[in-house]
Amino acid sequence: MTVQDVVFLFLSLMIVVPAALTVTVKNVFHAALYLVVSLTGVAGLFAMMGADFLFVAQLLVYSGGILILLLFVVLLSGTPKDWAARAINEQWMAASLVSAFFVAALAVLLRALPEAAPAADAAPTTSALGFLLLRDMLLPFEAVSLVLLSALVGAVHFSKKDEVPS
Amino acid sequence: MNSLFGVTFIAAVLLALGLFGVLARRNVLTVLMSIELIFNAAVINFVAFNRYLHPGGVWGQGVGLFVIALAAAEAVVGFALVLVVYRSFKSVLAENLDILKG
Repeated sequence: MTVQDVVFLFLSLMIVVPAALTVTVKNVFHAALYLVVSLTGVAGLFAMMGADFLFVAQLLVYSGGILILLLFVVLLSGTPKDWAARAINEQWMAASLVSAFFVAALAVLLRALPEAAPAADAAPTTSALGFLLLRDMLLPFEAVSLVLLSALVGAVHFSKKDEVPS
Repeated sequence: MNSLFGVTFIAAVLLALGLFGVLARRNVLTVLMSIELIFNAAVINFVAFNRYLHPGGVWGQGVGLFVIALAAAEAVVGFALVLVVYRSFKSVLAENLDILKG
């Protein structure tokens, strides 16, 4: 049981247990807070695997961006009748069967992956990612900036109140 | 445990939990949260394959970065839609949003 095994066990508990609580608790705000913990654990997993830029990007974008936005939206929407309603709908048994089947099937299939020994400590990835984005993945890079611009404009446009008669 | 199988198994568990959340939760915001869990499972897989099978390159991390950016765009649009729908229907439970039902 090396130090890396202990770290990996701690990180996997930090990811899986709050994720399971996110999809089962009744209070939506609590579910969002559990998701913050789980995705911060995912960032730790990236750092353990040597992806240091992705670790910081995950913290900034997910924990610090998307999930804060989610907390705002949770606070701005929902009547008390919604918050008091049941959290899980009637088809939860079929849903849990589907999820269990997926986990079991993937556990069997993933056994066939090569037993790759963990590589040596990876080099910092920021400059390598910079070169990758600006040389080999230049087209997706520019396309993603277009996607983000259109998402921003679209979200602002259709969330405006219709006050002015057109 | 600290192997490729361990990390991809964690991603598979996250996928299954996100799938359960999408299928079984009534609140639309919790469904969006479960979709974020599925996105993160995919990114964990990309980074794991990059680390264990192609240790020299960073293509897996580059694709993971794009997945994070696209998930952010999708989350922005989804949350704006939820707010607009809440303004009209006064409810965020998925079964109350049924005016398109045949």
